Amino acid sequence: MKNLTQLLLSLALMLAVMPEAQAQALRAGYYGETVTHYGLKVAYELPLRSYVKEKNGAQKTFLFAPGLAAYRHPHNHIGLVLSPELTYRRTSRRGRTFEVGLAPSYFRYFLEGTTYTPDGPDDFKQVRWAGGNAFLPTAFIGIGKDLSVRKNIPLAWYTRLNVMQQRPYNTSTLMRFSLEAGVTIPLQKQ
Amino acid sequence: MKTVYTYLSLISLLTLLACSDRDPQPIEDNTLFLRNKGADMPIWVKGDRQSNKIILYVHGGPGDCAMCYRYYLKGLEANAMVAYWDQRVAGASSGKVEESTLRYAQFSEDMGFVVKLLKKQYPGSEIYLLAHSFGVELSWQYLTSGTNQQEVAGLMVVNGMFSFANWLMSVHEWALSEAQRQGNTEAEKYLMDHPVTTENAATIEWEPIYRWMYKLGGNPVSLYDDGKYVINYAFNSPNTALAQFTHSKAYSYYGNVESRRFEKGPLLRDIRIPVALFWGVKDGIVPLAVGEATKQVLTNAPVTEVRFSESWHEPFITETAKFNQAVLNFVR
Repeated sequence: MKNLTQLLLSLALMLAVMPEAQAQALRAGYYGETVTHYGLKVAYELPLRSYVKEKNGAQKTFLFAPGLAAYRHPHNHIGLVLSPELTYRRTSRRGRTFEVGLAPSYFRYFLEGTTYTPDGPDDFKQVRWAGGNAFLPTAFIGIGKDLSVRKNIPLAWYTRLNVMQQRPYNTSTLMRFSLEAGVTIPLQKQ
Repeated sequence: MKTVYTYLSLISLLTLLACSDRDPQPIEDNTLFLRNKGADMPIWVKGDRQSNKIILYVHGGPGDCAMCYRYYLKGLEANAMVAYWDQRVAGASSGKVEESTLRYAQFSEDMGFVVKLLKKQYPGSEIYLLAHSFGVELSWQYLTSGTNQQEVAGLMVVNGMFSFANWLMSVHEWALSEAQRQGNTEAEKYLMDHPVTTENAATIEWEPIYRWMYKLGGNPVSLYDDGKYVINYAFNSPNTALAQFTHSKAYSYYGNVESRRFEKGPLLRDIRIPVALFWGVKDGIVPLAVGEATKQVLTNAPVTEVRFSESWHEPFITETAKFNQAVLNFVR
């Protein structure tokens, strides 16, 4: 908990010193927990620092992107993932992107089924909004293409693999993974 | 070339979805959860509601899953309802569970609540337990406590034990017999040097005996050999795909202490409900000798037997049609 607080404070500090000139962007796409448990994710990208390497002309950007994903694992649960992402993104001269990052995410899930709990030895009561909360540290890696670089189209596509660890899960932890694919739309001209 | 990659990716995704297991369109399709002592345990009820019969599948392990076997058991759903219950910590169960609750008594309490919840949800229905391996231990624990056996109409035992000592002696005997038959002198020597008796069963190092049993072909069947099963399990079912591999350490007390004290033999004479003994004859994990011993101690219960000559530990995988027919014959 202490580590999480420190991380959130660091994020807030980074946001406070964020250069204003950088382009912000909206990211939206398919979010598939275990690929097929379908959902959507949206994120708001705030560049923290960006520079172009003279040697190869590649742009390197550090981003903060708060995001929210919702997905459904049928007959199991509905999941919400709130993810403050820290991303490093490299965009080549041709517009190809490669990104890696971390997110200390919060996971809230709702069981998809009527939940009962014993109410005495022979009776039950229904539990409303049954589910749970968990910490979901996430690491991700992704690729994509920024179409604005060569074709002057203000759009980028991306796909990304997230590897997550749900803590707690039963007596220990649970590894989860998800696949994202979508587009990034700049909100202001660069 | 990029276009080709794009199409290949799309085709791969569609293949994943196309491999989903087809449902026989059950009349009842209900998802329930039981919350008890930190655990949220799913109970998926599927099948013919009008039959007024519920087959409660009590999975093995400990730590296995129930719904993951629907792939094989769904043939039952045309004539009965099947309740697939994932025990605490196992399968798709979730929550924040204390390791100290992974005890026979707690599993038995959970099972009691599952039976009562099913009875509340489906008044007038008869409940039959279909217990496999560890699920058999759990069922004996439940049925030999208080008046619990009055709650169910019958029990089907699938390759499971009632006594640790009897089980280990049977495994030892099976492995020794196989070692001699196969001419494996190393295994034979080890097993001859480490005999199991009623007196030493609770203290002898049992893992090497168990390992020899496996090496000698005690259960060569692996679910993961069936690609369609694996894809369905991971991507198109309510199972929590990677959960199977998260909790093995949590059962160390069960493995090292509690199971070794497990002895229900003397209590089985009090069982009066119908019992079916379904046994994979080639099984080394819980050999046929355990089934024969179970029949000997069930002196007051009507017992029927069905043997699966081409099966090991999971006859529902290797002789699915015959197994499902045997279940339906029992509950009819």
